[in-house]
Parts: sequence; C-alpha cells; structure tokens
Amino acid sequence: MNAIETTHAHVAANVAAAGDWLTGHDRVAAWREARDAETNETDRARRSAISPNAVPGHATPTIEVVHRVASDPGRLTRTWADEQIAALGEETYTELVGVTAIASVLDTFDRAMGRPEPTIPEPIDGEPARVRPDDVGDVGAWVSQTTGPTRANVSRTLSLVPETNRLWRQLVDTFYSRGTEFMNLSWDFPLSRPQAELIAARTTALNECFY
Amino acid sequence: MSGEANGLTIDLDATLDRGHVGEVGVPAGPELLAFTNAVELGGDIDGTRAAVAGVIGEEATIEAAAIVAIFNGLVRVADGTGIQLDAGVFAASIDERQRLGIDAYAGAANSLGVAATSDEPDARTVVDLFR
Repeated sequence: MNAIETTHAHVAANVAAAGDWLTGHDRVAAWREARDAETNETDRARRSAISPNAVPGHATPTIEVVHRVASDPGRLTRTWADEQIAALGEETYTELVGVTAIASVLDTFDRAMGRPEPTIPEPIDGEPARVRPDDVGDVGAWVSQTTGPTRANVSRTLSLVPETNRLWRQLVDTFYSRGTEFMNLSWDFPLSRPQAELIAARTTALNECFY
Repeated sequence: MSGEANGLTIDLDATLDRGHVGEVGVPAGPELLAFTNAVELGGDIDGTRAAVAGVIGEEATIEAAAIVAIFNGLVRVADGTGIQLDAGVFAASIDERQRLGIDAYAGAANSLGVAATSDEPDARTVVDLFR
C-alpha cells in the first residue's frame, strides 16, 4: 500500500474518533451528511438557483454548515457564516468545515479510483479535547486562526481546531504538498508538478474558489 | 502553474475553461482534464482514468486522483473559513484575476480588505507556483 492509500485509511479511521469539540458520533454524522449532500434535493435546488439564498436552508445549523460546505462552497458568504457561527460557536463551526472537507477528500478519492462507496466507520467513543489554542486571533478570516507568520493563509485554515487540523494536514502533506518538496517546482514524482498544478487549477475553477 | 520551471508554456485560459479538454501545454493535459472533469462534474470516470493510466502509468494516476481529491478539500476549508488571498499573491495576480473572471467569484469579497503589497517574503515564490 502506498503512502496515499495508507494515509487515506488512517484518516478515515481517525475522523470517527472524538475531535476538538465534536464527539466521534458527531463527526461520523457529519460525514454522512456530507455524503448525503451529493444527492440531497435541497442542495440540488440551491446549487441550481441563481442565488443560494433563494432556497431555504436545512433544519439545524450543524446540518446547514455541512451541506453548504459540501455542496456549494464557492458561494458561501460572511453573512451566512456569521449566522452559523452565532448558533454553533466558531470552534464547532470550524471543526464542521474541517470534517466536511476531510470527508470530501476521502470520498472523492474513492470515487476517482472507481471504488464503490466505502462504509463510513463506526464512531469511536471518547471525549473531545475542548482545547482552544492560545495563539489564535483575528487574521481577517471568518474564524480565528493562528496569528504567527505563515507562508500562506490556506495553511492555517483549521488552526483553531488542532485535532482536526492534524488529520487535515496529514492528508494535504501526503496527497499534495510532500513536505519540503512543495517548493520544488520540478519534483521527481510519477505525476509531474505541472500535471499536479493543472489538475489543481481545473478543480479549483470548477468549484469557483477565489483563493 | 509551475510551467516555466519545467520549460512549458501553459495556456491558463484553457486550463480554467471548464469546457476545454484539449491541449494546454502540459504532457497528458487532455487526459488529465477529462479525468478531472469526469470526477467533478459526473462522467466516465473509469474510462478517463484508464486513458490517464495509459499515458502516464498507474502510479501517476493514483497521484492524479489524490490531487483532485485534496483540492476538493482545499476549496472547502478556504471558502468555509473565509480566508483572504495572501497580500503578495493578491497584488501579483490582479490582471490575471480580472482577465479570467476570477474576481467575479463570491469568495472575492473576502479579500476586499487585503492590503495589496507585493513585497511580502515568499510572495513571488507562491505566485510563481501558479505560472
């Protein structure tokens, strides 16, 4: 099993454990909702609407966050996020964004490899860490993030939730950035750097991501 | 993109044109774009993945699937947490963003307050990754 497959299996197993503010049960439920967003009628209607605000949202802030981030991330707004954060708290909001993103990576990889939809793991018992890092604050994003130096804002998106961020960074490092090789524009991997960036650019454009 | 470092001239407009699955200046570009579109938009994933593997091999194809997958996560953490475009990148990409229509994306609103300074450490390096 190569590093990508190993990391995929490791993260899939561990996302079912208690995280920062969510239990394993909560995180597994979020993964199920993220998967449901692909075929959910409300999400389909919202995606096809000229404005996402034209379609009423989901019943609870938790489900709303997971479904919107999963199904229509390019049209999220600060007003929408502020409403969810007011209801959930910024830590829980951020963890839900992170779990949804992780679920999207895991499920997209399986789909791209032509595998049948894998079974979502059973939740692992345990209590969330409930630790808010000391070094987070307002850096211009919708949620608090680390205030120290960073090479790029995208590298600190989930820094408010370190347990979730740890899993997320494992995925990013193995699937894409490869540690210090990230700065090597001519890296020596089977998929060349220009080929990787080509896929990245197209995927980002299809999702209408400004960043 | 990292084209210049690899001696390539890449057609960025065609890369970002969702309907384009032809040449863009990257080896195996048409196959990789068709595969990416199939995964993202729904299509013949098995057929396009086999075409990719036929050109660049099985190991590179797994890496291609991983890149599609991780960028599905990256766009979600970026847009879900409302991060700003880094100041140096913001300043260095003004013309390209306007020309390619990227400034029309909803997420552009998050960066309205970015001080457009291009003298930040590593700013050029980060921008160059996308050339």
